[in-house]
Amino acid sequence: MYQRLFGLVLLLACAGLGIVAWGYHAPFSYEPVGPRAYPLLLLVLMGLGAIYLLAKPASATAHADEPPMDRHVLRKVIGCVVILMVYAALFERLGFIAASILFGVAMARLYGGTWLASAASGLMLAVGLYLLFDKALDVPLPLGILSALEN
Amino acid sequence: MKPIILLAALAACLPLAGPAAAADEPRRPECIAPAAPGGGFDLTCKLAQSALVQSKLLKAPMRVTYMPGGVGAVAYNAVVAQRPSEAGTITAFSSGSLLNLAQGKFGRFDESAVKWLAGIGTSYGAIAVRADSPYQNLDDLVAAIKADPGKVVIGSGGTVGSQDWMQTALIARAAGIDPRTLRYVAMEGGGELATALLGGHIQVASSDIADSVPHIESGDMRILAVFSEERLPGETVASIPTAKEQGYDVIWPVIRGFYVGPKVSDDAYAWWKNAFDQLLASDDFAKLREQRELYPFAMTGDELDAYVKQQVTRYKQLAQEFGLIQ
Amino acid sequence: METLSYLGQGFGVALSPYNLFTALCGTLIGTVVGLLPGLGPINGVALLIPIAFALGLPPESALILLAAVYLGCEYGGRISSILLNIPGEASAVMTTLDGYPLARQGKGGIALSISAWSSFVGGLMATCGVVIFAPLLAKWAVAFGPAEYFVLMVFAIVCLAGMAGNKPMKTAIAACIGLFLSCVGIDSNSGVYRFTFGSLGLADGIQFVVLVLGLFSVSEILVLLERTHHGQKAIEAKGRMLFSLKEGASVLATNLRSGAVGFVLGILPGAGATLASAVAYMSEKRLAHKDNKFGDGDLRGLAAPETANSASACGSMVPMLTLGVPGSGTTAVMLGALTLYNITPGPLLFQNQPEIVWGLIASLFVANLMLILMNVPMIKIFTKILAVPYWALVPAIAIITSIGVYAVHATTFDLFLMIAIGIVGYILRKMDFPLSAILLGFILGGLMEQNLRRALSISNGELGILFASPITWGVWTLIAAMIALPIWRAWRARRQRLAQPVSV
Repeated sequence: MYQRLFGLVLLLACAGLGIVAWGYHAPFSYEPVGPRAYPLLLLVLMGLGAIYLLAKPASATAHADEPPMDRHVLRKVIGCVVILMVYAALFERLGFIAASILFGVAMARLYGGTWLASAASGLMLAVGLYLLFDKALDVPLPLGILSALEN
Repeated sequence: MKPIILLAALAACLPLAGPAAAADEPRRPECIAPAAPGGGFDLTCKLAQSALVQSKLLKAPMRVTYMPGGVGAVAYNAVVAQRPSEAGTITAFSSGSLLNLAQGKFGRFDESAVKWLAGIGTSYGAIAVRADSPYQNLDDLVAAIKADPGKVVIGSGGTVGSQDWMQTALIARAAGIDPRTLRYVAMEGGGELATALLGGHIQVASSDIADSVPHIESGDMRILAVFSEERLPGETVASIPTAKEQGYDVIWPVIRGFYVGPKVSDDAYAWWKNAFDQLLASDDFAKLREQRELYPFAMTGDELDAYVKQQVTRYKQLAQEFGLIQ
Repeated sequence: METLSYLGQGFGVALSPYNLFTALCGTLIGTVVGLLPGLGPINGVALLIPIAFALGLPPESALILLAAVYLGCEYGGRISSILLNIPGEASAVMTTLDGYPLARQGKGGIALSISAWSSFVGGLMATCGVVIFAPLLAKWAVAFGPAEYFVLMVFAIVCLAGMAGNKPMKTAIAACIGLFLSCVGIDSNSGVYRFTFGSLGLADGIQFVVLVLGLFSVSEILVLLERTHHGQKAIEAKGRMLFSLKEGASVLATNLRSGAVGFVLGILPGAGATLASAVAYMSEKRLAHKDNKFGDGDLRGLAAPETANSASACGSMVPMLTLGVPGSGTTAVMLGALTLYNITPGPLLFQNQPEIVWGLIASLFVANLMLILMNVPMIKIFTKILAVPYWALVPAIAIITSIGVYAVHATTFDLFLMIAIGIVGYILRKMDFPLSAILLGFILGGLMEQNLRRALSISNGELGILFASPITWGVWTLIAAMIALPIWRAWRARRQRLAQPVSV
């Protein structure tokens, strides 16, 4: 079922991307292949693979150590993705430290930490990692709303 | 001449006494190198970084941030759209960025979107061959291409429309050859190009003079022509003929410099301009610049702004003539 | 003989207490930086250059520091691959295949020690190779033109087929996805922007760090969420931390073969470490007997990529030193560092500044040794990562991953891209597609397409160029052997079955 659905999505994606790729041509080219042959070839190969999946879906041999999906897990997974998205959106706007505190606390709660532990780990991670990366490892991170505090 | 240098050196040594101190040193000074570490933009930032600290114009060294993407396109858009008023942030650019800007590869912003700050050095395009190549000068090469354009494989470090390609096309045009008939191979970067030339996979390399210097010194490569106005200063390169003296009027400088965001205050802009003015006049800077195989080019403020705009117009015109843009 | 005396001098410098201490600090810092997902040798080396310069370290100490950091980072990257299933960089992808299953079996300590030992052997072999063959190697590196690179990539793809195992279709689709993703961004032959959909964030293509952290780190975070929901805990490393003599002996042949593969491929600028580790893994898998557990925690499957990777890390110094051409992002940064010290790598370096070259080579020896001496006692500490409860570990992984991705472009576009890739990766993982095949396809794809097109523009469209040099013949022969070997095995097995029709 899922395999078939995936095959269908893949096939549609290949078709769509194929249409996009068809339009690629260089205004000025010295080589016989051109920019569109290779992606088109791969899209055709992938499309054939998708058709195979549609026609003859292999039984999903999930790993033994991974329990099956259910509604609760799915809800949590979607929640986690949403938290990640929000974090990415706030990363520059609020700055690294503020965004990471919020994110750290939310994630820790999602992974079963108590409120106290989550708050503590969120705070420590945000500040600790900021110091580690921005100050010690010289990876510049956005300060955001805290930039007024500096100096 | 000398007193000026002395004065400049003195000014550089005593930033607190100079008028520069009037405006505040920008907070969190940062240099955006719009490429991965290790490339030409990184080098430009590092040059300014060490020079500004050495001359004590900045107390703490600038931080270098890497923002690769489209020869500067990503950084350009980020600076204009997201960080337009950060006074401490300068971003490196090169003629390559301007060329792409002119061809509309920088997205929705044009060349007036930022404040051009300073040009701090330049390199020049050059045509290199392996030491055992039969071509001794540009005329030999042009004759060979004319006889059979398919026989001479020309490689370069960039795609069609890049600086390396442009200079090849210009030479071809000056010799009366249609650039479309050339046999042209695009490599990725100067290193790959050098290996391909040394390995004999291509016969001619069109690139930047700086990439070739170590190989000239070792005697593995020979430069047929450098695209500078006059012969270049320096032991190894002084003997290299320019394209101009061989009768091909092609000048192709590759300048390197910085710009700041469009909403940076005039005070902050003036501080940076002043700092670079002092740097560019000092001997210490000249030494640092030479170490990085860059040749003199000093322009700041309005002068640079005019130069950049004039270059972009020229590039646009060239791109149109070669049919790269409509 | 001259070589040896220079090398002796080099060791004299490298073994001074001050420089030994420098090497120790370097390996330590390197290991920590490499351990952080998203940060690799490029960051480590780039970070330390200005510091080394500011501290006024003499050139030889700076070189030792850099070599130590480089190797340390390479090793640090293994730790997150093995324990957390998050490869920090391209060459560590193969390490996850057997390293992570080992950790899941509670053998994290053994895996780390095998990895350290393999890295040591690989590094040692390659460094010896550099000493003996250095001047010749420059020729080998330039002999590879576009045609040769293309044939080599075909070889790698054929090797990749060996990964297929019992799900050939899914591996093929995954590899195609990877190959396709490598097309995104500016096409270096024609300058056309492909599949960027107007976004400048994609102008240079999908960055490897974004892809690897999306596929592995984000999907791992989601898988860990499931495990938390079901109340599972991480499997801690139990029992001994060191591999036994018997285990060591069982991987020795693998070590030697993979070290040679890694060294030879590592010298080639560009492809180096990833190609080497993939080819080493696949050929070991092909050579192994039927009863192998490759993919489920075979020690040989861990030893092969580790040895090859470390060997190629040392091998990649060769094009840098002899040609002045960086073989990888890291060596590009090191090249910049050398220029700061007024050392111009290139053909003349061996003649003009032999003490620098041999000093660097000696420091590679020292750094290798230091790495194993320092890391083996620390394995127990590293495996403690597994004892951290998920509610503390996962946010840390997520934040560090985000920093690593943000650091690439300093824009949040990549964060969103990483999450999107992560969701797709999670779905693919749930459907049992091998994610590592996507990554390998991604890395090999760009090189394959661009080199084919370059080769054809050199030859003006004639395919003959792909069969024109002795190197291409050699690689084609290897390709034929790679395809023929399993067929021959199957044929022989069938004949044996036919010869003994009565089962015992």
